[in-house]
Amino acid sequence: MFFHNFKYTLKALLRNKGLIFWTLAFPLIMALFFNMAFSNIEKQDKFKAINVAVVTNEYYENNTMLKETFELLSDENNKDRVFDSKYVNQDEAKELLEEEKIDGYVVFSEDSQQIIVNKNGVNQTILKFVVEEIVQAEDTADIIQEKVENIFNSREENGIMETLKSIIILLQNNSANIKDNSDANLSYMTIEFFTLVAMTCLYGGILGAVAINWCLANMSNVGKRLSMTPVSKLKMVISGTLAGYLIQLVGVALLFIFTIGILKIDFGNKTFEMVVLALVGSFAGLTMGVAVTAAIKTSENAKTGILIGFTMLGCFFAGMMGVSMKYLIDKSVPIINKLNPANMITDGFYSLYYYDTLDRFYGNICGLCIFSAIMLAIAIVSLRKQKYESI
Amino acid sequence: MENIIEVKNLTKLYKKKKAIDDLSFDVYKGEILGFLGPNGSGKSTTINCILSLLNFNKGNIKIFGREMSPNAYDIKRKIGVVFQDVAVFEELTVYDNIDFFCGLYVSNNNKRKKYIEDAINLVGLQEFKKYYPKQLSGGLLRRLNIACGIAHKPEIIFLDEPTVAVDPQSRNNILEGIKKLRSDGATIIYTTHYMEEVEMICDRVIVLDKGKIIAKGTTDELKYLAKIKEKITVEAKEISNQNLNQIKQLPEVQNISYENGILKISYENEKNNLENIIDFLKNNQIKYRKIYSERPTLNDVFLELTGKELRD
Amino acid sequence: MIVYKTFLKVLNKCKFPIILYSAILLFFAGINMSSNDNTMDFTAEKPNIAVINNDKEEGITKSFLEYLHENTNIKDIKNDEQEIKDALFYREIQYIVYIPEGFSDSFLDGKNPQLEIKSTGEYQSELADMIVERYIKVAKRYRGSTDSDEELFEKIDETLSKKADVEIISKMDTKTITRLTRYFNFSAYSFIAISIYVISTILFIFKSEKINRRTIVGSIDYKKVNAKLLIANSGFCFIIWAIYFICARILIGEVAFSTYGIYFAINSLIFVICTVTLGFFVSHFVKSRNTITALINIIGLGSSFLCGVFVPMEYLPEGVLKIAHVLPAYWFVKNNELIGSTEVFSGDVIKSLVINAAVIIGFTIVFFVGSNIVTKKKMKAE
Repeated sequence: MFFHNFKYTLKALLRNKGLIFWTLAFPLIMALFFNMAFSNIEKQDKFKAINVAVVTNEYYENNTMLKETFELLSDENNKDRVFDSKYVNQDEAKELLEEEKIDGYVVFSEDSQQIIVNKNGVNQTILKFVVEEIVQAEDTADIIQEKVENIFNSREENGIMETLKSIIILLQNNSANIKDNSDANLSYMTIEFFTLVAMTCLYGGILGAVAINWCLANMSNVGKRLSMTPVSKLKMVISGTLAGYLIQLVGVALLFIFTIGILKIDFGNKTFEMVVLALVGSFAGLTMGVAVTAAIKTSENAKTGILIGFTMLGCFFAGMMGVSMKYLIDKSVPIINKLNPANMITDGFYSLYYYDTLDRFYGNICGLCIFSAIMLAIAIVSLRKQKYESI
Repeated sequence: MENIIEVKNLTKLYKKKKAIDDLSFDVYKGEILGFLGPNGSGKSTTINCILSLLNFNKGNIKIFGREMSPNAYDIKRKIGVVFQDVAVFEELTVYDNIDFFCGLYVSNNNKRKKYIEDAINLVGLQEFKKYYPKQLSGGLLRRLNIACGIAHKPEIIFLDEPTVAVDPQSRNNILEGIKKLRSDGATIIYTTHYMEEVEMICDRVIVLDKGKIIAKGTTDELKYLAKIKEKITVEAKEISNQNLNQIKQLPEVQNISYENGILKISYENEKNNLENIIDFLKNNQIKYRKIYSERPTLNDVFLELTGKELRD
Repeated sequence: MIVYKTFLKVLNKCKFPIILYSAILLFFAGINMSSNDNTMDFTAEKPNIAVINNDKEEGITKSFLEYLHENTNIKDIKNDEQEIKDALFYREIQYIVYIPEGFSDSFLDGKNPQLEIKSTGEYQSELADMIVERYIKVAKRYRGSTDSDEELFEKIDETLSKKADVEIISKMDTKTITRLTRYFNFSAYSFIAISIYVISTILFIFKSEKINRRTIVGSIDYKKVNAKLLIANSGFCFIIWAIYFICARILIGEVAFSTYGIYFAINSLIFVICTVTLGFFVSHFVKSRNTITALINIIGLGSSFLCGVFVPMEYLPEGVLKIAHVLPAYWFVKNNELIGSTEVFSGDVIKSLVINAAVIIGFTIVFFVGSNIVTKKKMKAE
């Protein structure tokens, strides 16, 4: 009987085109859209050489230091390259700027440096900054000369070798001692895909909801008929939800295969934990679906609507419609996202992707388990009833 | 006669309104028992209470001599229910639907196949096995609904208004099917508000109104309850008030009514009433288009007992 | 009249989704309302950074912090590893500097103490990196050449405050115009969603309730019915369009009624008419109410993602933009972007605008003819 119901529930669910669209196809379509729209954003954000122009007037041509500095900063082989420079005359520079081929251009002269841009922005600021630095370097050259002289003057006290050493150290030691500890996996757009997984997990609850709706005498006509069969309600409910859970997991698996395998989205490398999170997250979606079905007496369509609405709202707070929303909520009203299953799933994937430790991940898993437990409790209270006051 | 269902003092309140008021009756093995009553008279509620779907406030219900409860699976195994609303899976074919419901009773595959074929033949859906419910007309859908409820060959079958909004062909098919089920040995509880159906197939009738039994017995016994024994209808355009008064005075006439050119006369006894009225019309030179006599129907009985028509 | 009456009845039923899709538009338009500065002088961009200072706030550390305050936006982040990591990930900050204990003393001693940093590797963080590096370099150069620490700090300060002249040649109020562009771009989603929703629902009801049969039997030409429905829908969408235009004035300001605003308005009106015919065309493929929601999501979200509604066109990969050519929303957004980046509406610009608009009108005609063909075929099939 258990398998009989499981088999037919599976068959009926799979035949329901609307359900299958929302739970299996819709996430894949969204993933495709996301990938098309977002794949370039981060590449654009990554620092690339800025397009600028230098006006090659007489002053510039004759100032070797200026020239060499600019050429070094624009050298393709320099890993600290900042500019992609064009060397043109004033009119050409102006034209390039108007056509937005460059972010700005510089005109050097004896006593001033003029930077011309067409708007405020980071690139323009960087241009300004570098030009200032070049000018300042000219100033500080005097000081270094003075320093060298000072050391040189003390050669009789310190001995010639010591003096030379000091000068070499002085000259070499002109760079800042900065250690870059930047984290890997800083791609914030992956959050979009995490919310998509969250959405798929929770949408799966609709399958469970529909399957359960069929078993409940006070909810559907089929339910009335089923409650007259000599099969226990528990058996029907469990086999029905299992069928829903199975399709739900297939949906999540398809999404993983599509995003990781075909779209090549980087989810990090903690595969085992990811699978655990997907299973727990889907279970949370399932229990939510069952609880809504069992506890709220309304039509199947309305129940589906409630589940979709709640899931989308949750995904909104988890950053689906703009990653910064998640951060905003996390920081300013954390309680919302602590209770939001869509965020718990998203945050779980985020912590697996970005964090080295698993504490935050376990926190999310616990949160999801508590959520599922509460949903299950609501469901059990409502499902235990076998006789009703009215049908 | 063997009692297969016993209902004693069944009372059910919806909020404070009595939906069923102290109902007691028995169902005998092998009979077709009709539950007759207008919409909202408590027919479905009674059935749902018997089936342990609804809580009730008072009374007890025994099926096969044992207390009925939601967990009485051995009783449920021998019961088949066809509810008023169609209860099938939109997503499964006709065959799969029957197989699904039957499979919850019968796990042996070969036996089940045979049972399904029998059910399909009984309701005449042979050509529609592969159809989905959406593709079926209202009548065919009702037949599928019945097939799903009776495929496991239950000993007791509850049919709750199985013919609502059904075309005449399907209705005949359904009623024939029900007779066949009885002749195969099932006991049938049949609710309806169509008295013609009750007259056609029921052995015994229980008439319900406002949750109370207002009459029970065979159809003939019930009709005997009526004071009227014959009804004569005359279609005549012009009958004067004087003539009407004279008709009222004719022997055995209990009551008359005259509206829109139709004269209805009820008699307390059937004794040459038709002859008398024809003579009267002839003598008074009243022209008439039609005249016919009827025996009282259950509707008349109902009308007399409750003061209202069966159908609303 | 039956056409219009039914239309109004159905419209009343659709209230909620219409309000929803409009609310989404206004919400996103509202999100973009962040800053309001209209200055035309060059202001240096300040990167968002955080500083975790483990040193005492004196000596070179104090001077360094003052310098950072001047040249960057120092965000207040709790010294908590998780908070810092999150802030970097979500780009609240682009860069973080850890100043170690004893930094000042060690530096003034002539040593080279290490600063730890974390960066996102984006433009702003590159700038922050330059800012930090420059301070250290300059400080090093002057170190040991002065008589007192105070003199050292003064010299550093003096050098660092030398600025180059920057001139902005554009006179456009780019920020408000960009906001207006985004606003109109985003309206594409709302227009598509509302058009498909309302029109499909109406036609679905027309079909399912026997009205369809009555209109056919009633010897009314299907073309006339289509045209009537089209007029009713266009009227409705015109109202929605007008409301959106007024909202633009309220949310974004007077610029909505400037020359730019008028160009935007004309462009969006052409697009609205296109979405009406699109909704009309699509509605012929609606078999159930569920299909309507599915279609809105696929067509509405698809157009929005691929055509630069949600993500500005400049961020979209070329391949995606190529595909987007087959969608009317692409031409609408393209026109918006063109209007938004134009300073003078010269003949050339107007020519491009007209060409793009012509493509949208072309789509409109295709959808309209398409729906008539489908209606005709369906009627014959029946």
